[in-house]
Amino acid sequence: MKTAPGVRAGMTGVGLRSVHYPDLLGRPSTAVDWFEAISENYMDSEGRPLEVLLKIREDYPVALHGVSLSVGGVEGPRSDYLRRLRRLADRVDPFLVSDHLCFTGAHASNVHDLLPLPYTEEAIVTVARNVAIAQDALGRRLALENVSSYLSYRESVMTEWEFLIAVARRADCRILLDVNNAYVSARNHGFAAEDYIDAVPAELVAQIHLGGYSDMGTFLFDTHSRAPTPPVWELYRRAVRRLPDAPTLIEWDADIPEWAGLEAQAVQARAIRREEHELKPA
Amino acid sequence: MSSSPLERLQRRFVRSVTFAADADLIAAVTGGGRLSAAEAIGVYRDAYPARLTEALGETYEACWRVLGDEEFFAAARDFIARAPSRSYNMSDYGEGFPEFLESRPHAEDAPFIGDLARLEWAFLRLFHTRAHEGLEPAALAAAAGSESILRLGAACVLLSLKHSVYGIWKRDRADDTPLEPTEWDGAQRLVLYKRGTNQIFARELSVPEHAALTALAQGRPLGAALDTAGLDEDGARELFAFAADARLIVAVVGG
Ligand SMILES: [Fe+2]
Repeated sequence: MKTAPGVRAGMTGVGLRSVHYPDLLGRPSTAVDWFEAISENYMDSEGRPLEVLLKIREDYPVALHGVSLSVGGVEGPRSDYLRRLRRLADRVDPFLVSDHLCFTGAHASNVHDLLPLPYTEEAIVTVARNVAIAQDALGRRLALENVSSYLSYRESVMTEWEFLIAVARRADCRILLDVNNAYVSARNHGFAAEDYIDAVPAELVAQIHLGGYSDMGTFLFDTHSRAPTPPVWELYRRAVRRLPDAPTLIEWDADIPEWAGLEAQAVQARAIRREEHELKPA
Repeated sequence: MSSSPLERLQRRFVRSVTFAADADLIAAVTGGGRLSAAEAIGVYRDAYPARLTEALGETYEACWRVLGDEEFFAAARDFIARAPSRSYNMSDYGEGFPEFLESRPHAEDAPFIGDLARLEWAFLRLFHTRAHEGLEPAALAAAAGSESILRLGAACVLLSLKHSVYGIWKRDRADDTPLEPTEWDGAQRLVLYKRGTNQIFARELSVPEHAALTALAQGRPLGAALDTAGLDEDGARELFAFAADARLIVAVVGG
């Protein structure tokens, strides 16, 4: 494989989506530094999706982001899944492989959703065991992302961020900090998102996500169907002050805008980082 | 074997999403925002069929077009209620949907719907299959004798359908003139294939052509495959020329 431009501190990327393949295959100059690919869209395909991803990889750093590891599932990760993911990672040579701190159902009945875990010692032990299996199979360290949630468990004995940090330390993995998810969960569960963002140790953060939620009136729903809202941008500003080097990624999964519209979000994220780190008088 | 609290919770959650909200789970959670516990679980329960319906809609797009929103969504809802997703990959969901569609009452208006769905499923499988490198026509002609076994490439699918659905599948999406029974009348045999790249091609096959390619796919020698199919000399020549041009054959063994 040709060596693509390397990973740079504080780089800004967007999620690779098939609607943008035609825009990208002409190799236009873009304002984005890197792409994140949804692992499941490529690991079971030897067809066009993989062909496009490998082309993109010639020009950009790529991270693989999964939705099906089910790292909190009591049954443990599926070996067929890990084998396929390993094969994809070996081909793509991503700078990061990530998934979500959640469970997605059961092997015999996958609900394909990011279901929240209770913040308990048993859940930490379960995730740590599963991360060890996954990291061993993949030969790489993983990053786990905090998810948006619409309910909390009465049995939880710590805050969401205490759980996230405890998992990362116990499992020896890293954190993909989704600023939008932290905001959605904060609003839904009545805590201060700033406390969350401030608590996460910088050395554990491998990447930052930014996306848009929908306000359903009675709760905030993580739909990734619009641009980040102003309070999420403000929270991002707060996060990058402490995390100057973490790559940032714009996620957009429904009602996806044309390429230029998505690119503009990456430009905005980069501008905020610059304001905080390059333009600020010392 | 006794289960742990986390195991019980996860089992209850899955049941609440795929079936009905579990009373113990409702008691164990607090709803986010201004949602009650049951409403919060409902957010996950509503998302489940929506997500799988979207997966079915992507795979069976032509069936959706033919059936219309109301019937397609009703079929999807009933299918999802009885067929849990066992794959980690949501785009694998929907195997068995062709037979399910065929068994529903609307099958009287659209008797071809199962075949249309089979074609869409075959297309999806082929879409994700690596394009094989077929032999060049000259190399194939030089190597193949009547005793040779011709290996078909992986990116090649043979279909035998009771209804003519290829035209319906290819129909312009914007074209909403009603389908006429003559459009799906009669059986149809097809080969779908990739020719070195990820572009997908299709060709209709006659009964003997389909039989000959099926025999080759089963590993019968070329001469025997052509004989059992009942192809005359011209027909055999034409099929061979097509298979060569389409780069269907990846290897010639023996002969
Ligand atoms: Fe995210």
